[in-house]
Amino acid sequence: MSRTNIIALLIFGAILGYFLTFGPETTRKFKSGVYGLLAPFLSGGSGLQKQITSVRTGLKSLEQLERENSTLQVDNRALRATNQALRDVEHEVNRLRHALNYRDRSVFKLIAAEVMTRDSSTWWRTVTINRGKRDGIEADMPVATDEGLVGKTTTASDNIAVVLLVSDENCKVAASVEGSREQGIVSGERVIEGLNPVLNLNFLSKQADLKPGQKVYTSGVGGVFPSGLLIGVIKTFRVRELDGQAQLTPAVDLSHLEDVFVVTGRK
Amino acid sequence: MIFFFLLLLLVLAAQIAEFFIPVLPWLYNAHVYLVPVIVFYGAMALPFPLMLALALYAGILLDALTVQVIGGKVEISIGSSILLYAVLGGIMHGLRPLFARGRWEVHCILSGVCTSVIVLAQYLMITFRRGSLIFTREIWWQIGAPGLIAMALAPILFWFLHWMARMTAYSYLPERDRFE
Repeated sequence: MSRTNIIALLIFGAILGYFLTFGPETTRKFKSGVYGLLAPFLSGGSGLQKQITSVRTGLKSLEQLERENSTLQVDNRALRATNQALRDVEHEVNRLRHALNYRDRSVFKLIAAEVMTRDSSTWWRTVTINRGKRDGIEADMPVATDEGLVGKTTTASDNIAVVLLVSDENCKVAASVEGSREQGIVSGERVIEGLNPVLNLNFLSKQADLKPGQKVYTSGVGGVFPSGLLIGVIKTFRVRELDGQAQLTPAVDLSHLEDVFVVTGRK
Repeated sequence: MIFFFLLLLLVLAAQIAEFFIPVLPWLYNAHVYLVPVIVFYGAMALPFPLMLALALYAGILLDALTVQVIGGKVEISIGSSILLYAVLGGIMHGLRPLFARGRWEVHCILSGVCTSVIVLAQYLMITFRRGSLIFTREIWWQIGAPGLIAMALAPILFWFLHWMARMTAYSYLPERDRFE
């Protein structure tokens, strides 16, 4: 091995050693810094993706229309395209109106945010949102929609925050079951089988006779999540050797998140 | 050196692009990873010190953007991906004589294998932290499929990177006729 290579290896080892000594707080600050630097690119990419998706949707409907009406004139096509654009705007207006209504009637103080990107790694279920420290967002704040709990923030840079979804195995939420005294801990699964994630409600008593359809809410124990946020609906219940376990269908469709709210406290 | 800096830019662009590439539901929600393929091409084409620098850069980016700090605990410490990239890149670098002779297909296959090794290593690290070592069919697919996708993408990416290297008059390239 040449002298240059040995020196390179030594420098590499020193830098690697430096990074390996990072504790949780340093790691969080480092992550926040990197996200801060990349925020403009992620934001730009998110906008571009929306435009592409919008164009693709338009083309699909145009193809369908072409199949159905091969004799349509050019001006007809233009009119239909305009209609499509208006429908997109209408959908957006309805969505935002719905979100605004939820913010007004909610008992929580909420900060509205838009989902920019989804998880880029295999083993963590996260999304990034377009709100950060400048909007008052910090780590470990609950995130919800009008349908229920989404997850919690883990890292916040100036303009971006990372949200760990409730479907992640590491996102543990203290929960209580509607119409019973049962309490347990909800967490996701390490690997999602199929498109829709399933949540597990663990540490229930073996005598808990839970029925499909019963709703599960946050219990407020633990300090991160306030009580009363809907987590999901019971799908199945089984008795294990030491405790009972229920499987839940999440209240929120986590695969199609668009707008979320970060809960900053109660009104 | 221009080529090296272009590779750094491409790694950054690919890392950002990975956020926007949807998972493949028909392949057990497998992710598409572009960065490892670029890093492994760099491992073949760059001299040893620059290969280490590329591994360092890509590893830091990967860890900073994926590793989560949850409840005051870090599951995978920042630096682990640097080590993974450096070790796997070192193996690819060791096969440089083949690359120099224009045998790029071995590296395409190895890029796929190494991509899966990175995902497997991440899985083993989080399993060590979380407990309960589980290997279901879904998990094997989530580990293996990114490698297969990387293997399929490697010839296209290698061709593009090779073209870029030629454009920048990069000197560490295999004989022209054999590669193309």
